[in-house]
Amino acid sequence: MLVSVTEDIQLSKPSDLVQGTLDMLLLKILALEPMNGFAVSQRLKQVSGDVLQVSDGSLYPALHKLEQEGWITAEWKTSEYGRRAKYYSLTRLGRRQLEKEADNWGRLSSAISRVIKLNEV
Amino acid sequence: MRPEHWLFTIPLRLRSLFRWSQADQELEDELRDHLERKTEEYVSHGMTQEEARRRARIDLGGIEQTREKCRDARKINWIQDFVRDLHFGLRMLRKSPGFTAVAILTLALGIGANTGMFTLLKVVMLQSIPVRNSNELVVLRWSANKQPQHSGFSSFGDCPWRRWTNEFSGGCVFTYPMFEEIREHSQVFSGVSAFAGPAPLDLSGNGRASIVQAELISGDYFKTLGVSAAAGRTIEPRDEKPGADAVTVLSYAYWQGAFGGVPSAIGKSIKLNGVPFTIVGVAEQGFTRLTPGHSQDMWLPLTQKAALRIPWGGPPEKPSTSFWLVVIGRRKPGVTEQQAGASASALFRNLVVDEKVFKPEDDPKVAAVPAQKALSGIRAELEQPLYILMAAVGIVLLISCANVAGLMLSRAAAREKEMAARLALGAGRPRVIRQLLTESVQLWFAGAALGVVFAYWGAPTLAAFVSANRHSPFQIKAEPDARVLAFAVTVAALTGILFGLVPAFRGTRVNVAPVLKENAGSMAGASFTGTRRFGFGSGLVVTQVGLSVILLAGAGVVVRSLANLKGIDPGFDTHNLFQFGINPTLTGYYKTDQVDRLYRELQSRLSGLPGVSSVSYSSDTLLDGGLWSEGLKIERRTDKSNADTQMLAVGPDFLETMKIPLLRGRTLTKDDMASGRPVALVNREFVKQFLEKREPLGLRFGGTDAKDPQYEIVGVVGDTKYARLRDAIAPTAYVPLKEKEAHFALRTSVSPQALLPAVRKVVSDLDNNVPIFDVRTQTERIDRLLFNERLLARLASLFGMLALILACLGIYGLLSYEVSRRTREIGIRSAFGAHSQDVLWLVGRQGLAVVILGAAVGVLAALWVTRTLGSLLYGVHPSDPMTFLWVCALLATVGLAACYIPARRAMRVDPMVALRYE
Repeated sequence: MLVSVTEDIQLSKPSDLVQGTLDMLLLKILALEPMNGFAVSQRLKQVSGDVLQVSDGSLYPALHKLEQEGWITAEWKTSEYGRRAKYYSLTRLGRRQLEKEADNWGRLSSAISRVIKLNEV
Repeated sequence: MRPEHWLFTIPLRLRSLFRWSQADQELEDELRDHLERKTEEYVSHGMTQEEARRRARIDLGGIEQTREKCRDARKINWIQDFVRDLHFGLRMLRKSPGFTAVAILTLALGIGANTGMFTLLKVVMLQSIPVRNSNELVVLRWSANKQPQHSGFSSFGDCPWRRWTNEFSGGCVFTYPMFEEIREHSQVFSGVSAFAGPAPLDLSGNGRASIVQAELISGDYFKTLGVSAAAGRTIEPRDEKPGADAVTVLSYAYWQGAFGGVPSAIGKSIKLNGVPFTIVGVAEQGFTRLTPGHSQDMWLPLTQKAALRIPWGGPPEKPSTSFWLVVIGRRKPGVTEQQAGASASALFRNLVVDEKVFKPEDDPKVAAVPAQKALSGIRAELEQPLYILMAAVGIVLLISCANVAGLMLSRAAAREKEMAARLALGAGRPRVIRQLLTESVQLWFAGAALGVVFAYWGAPTLAAFVSANRHSPFQIKAEPDARVLAFAVTVAALTGILFGLVPAFRGTRVNVAPVLKENAGSMAGASFTGTRRFGFGSGLVVTQVGLSVILLAGAGVVVRSLANLKGIDPGFDTHNLFQFGINPTLTGYYKTDQVDRLYRELQSRLSGLPGVSSVSYSSDTLLDGGLWSEGLKIERRTDKSNADTQMLAVGPDFLETMKIPLLRGRTLTKDDMASGRPVALVNREFVKQFLEKREPLGLRFGGTDAKDPQYEIVGVVGDTKYARLRDAIAPTAYVPLKEKEAHFALRTSVSPQALLPAVRKVVSDLDNNVPIFDVRTQTERIDRLLFNERLLARLASLFGMLALILACLGIYGLLSYEVSRRTREIGIRSAFGAHSQDVLWLVGRQGLAVVILGAAVGVLAALWVTRTLGSLLYGVHPSDPMTFLWVCALLATVGLAACYIPARRAMRVDPMVALRYE
């Protein structure tokens, strides 16, 4: 009774993203270079051309979840402007996870594309 | 999850658990950093500082929620939550000290009563024999399908079989040769030992002469049990050899009590029954008993019985037919009880056939029974009352839990706004339920802690009450230990969660919007959650009332039964009667006429004491549990079967002292005692049952043996109860007392305490070596006789009253809550012209309904429950209508009083105040 009640299942699944994709996106972005949360949100917006709307409110819980899973690790660093910020980077486990998810995604998206491209008779 | 994964995650979890303030601080910093950057970005897009900050915050979607979500990502958050819940719960409980105090006290009473009873139950029923590996110990019991050739039987060994038939006999005691055979030849035991007793012995040589309880044991007793000495040495096999020095080992408690625990007691010489014995040691402190409820003062080698003139075991030249020894063995590792029994059985069979105790076809055999089970002692008699009382305190606990659940329910209603606010701020319902459960479990644990304190204080009192009412007071250590604490904690946790669950679920079933709207407060409660919650709250109170009816009815019939028992006319005057025992035959140098002279001298000196009106003596004290009964043959009786008669040997003036009426003929005189003429008195029942309208005076009766004296009936006296109050009046004969221990009875107007020193002086003036024992008034004896009934009546009434009070608190709480919830409604009604009677009825009918329903349910359940008391009751039916009527009347009175206070408050509601109340 006491343990089963947290609602964190929904943390990384904002309604506008396919299940599990946010995790993958974050892992991919962090695979390129370590960066802090703010930079992640900027980069996300930048690369997806504002198509993928990830609110800041979903971003941070997702990052924390990935950290707890051991896929990314965090470190406090002083940034270029002399500001201290928490930098996230991918771990070995995270890289493996990313490959797995990217594989899955590739299979899923090509399957979906094939379905979509079916010609109507 | 893969193990390698854990390498990463476990330190993270641990970090967030043990350094969560740091983790929280980092989260805080991270989010603030984000907000600053975001703000800067918006500013650079041309927004004002203010606007930029607002947008940044909106993007983050509520800092508090996001922070909480991030915390949740840490997984072991629940531990942190739990600690926070604990803190918060404590704060909430501290905020309403009245509620907290009542709830904790209620729970403490319930849990304390249970813990106390459990402590006693554990000590009496569950505690194992206090020796090393007691589960290896077995006690031997024999059985056969014919009766043995025997010359005597002792009642040691707590034997469950008493009645022998032509097809069955069985026993828990053995002859010395049987014990020796098994000890010498059995391969399955690492040790075999025998014991018998306790024997009351006259001790002198250590201050005033006194009676001690001594156990006769074989030399390997301590070795077999694995008990060592606290000082000196224990009894050893060499002490059992013929011609060995007379030695004794004291129990630790006796050493402390009689010798002050001084080491110099070792080596000291004392006299037992006039024979010098050397104290060689003290048994270890933990060894208080073998049999529950039987404590010894000292242990002696079996072989000393002849010197002490203890008649057990028959004459030394004929040891093979007297059964008197309990045989206890320690199984070798790996030997089962069956194997142990079978091995002993084979030896037993050979021996008894050789010695012609049994024939081979009688199938004599031996079984090995675990000692813990076999040596039941007081367990057998206390089992039933203790389990009944345990059930009673269980009911008290249920009532107190229901009570506190009711309290929490009304508190949940008062906290509706708080709950609504939490839910509105984004707390999940499970999270809030968890918080409320934490609060209730806290409450329950606080109750348990206080309850254990109650038990700590109550259990020894209870144990002392039990112990003081035994024939031989026993050491009983009733202190709550680890097992008891575990019991209390388990009870608290289970009931806390069980009874906290419903209030928590109900408390969080809040419709957020209306509750939070201003002004809606109490009306909202009345409109939608109120009805159902009231239903449950009422249900709780109905349960409490019903359960207390069960307890009260049970207590009622037990109390009535006790009153009936006490109201029995025993046939003699039990008041102002003071008795003590004396046994000059123990000291040994008295011949028959000397004993007689001593008694007569005592009688005349005691009569001279101030305040003493009459003195006599008898072989036994009436109404003290003891009985001497014989099968007699009576002259000129047509029925030739033995006439079972209760016998009492008495001194002169016995009738006068006891105030038993003489109906015909004359009483026994000093001359009868002196001349030794066999004359006797019989009671009316004797005449009625055996003499069939023949003239009793002058008739003779006596034992069936030719050597037995034949008594001439010289008088007929009134009927009296002999051993116990419950027994029916039975034929009784009074014969002159000779050569026996005597129990002196003094009819006195002075208090026994004041008289005792004078009595002691009279006795020691006559002979300093003769101790007196069993000093009590007749009323105390009857109380002791009725101990189980008194224990039950006293505790059941206590628990019944407790239940009643709790149930009234429940009614009171329910109605108070109703009144405060409906203050506004009552105000409106009054404003529209409702009379105060109407208001009284409005509130009162609810209380009335709860009481009536509860009483009805309770009576039905009680009818069924009190039937289990049947065998304990005397002269009252388990479903005695008067008792039930009284219980209902009591409940109605007290219940209505509990209704009245809140109802009166309702009547006094001022419409103006009530309508402005919101």
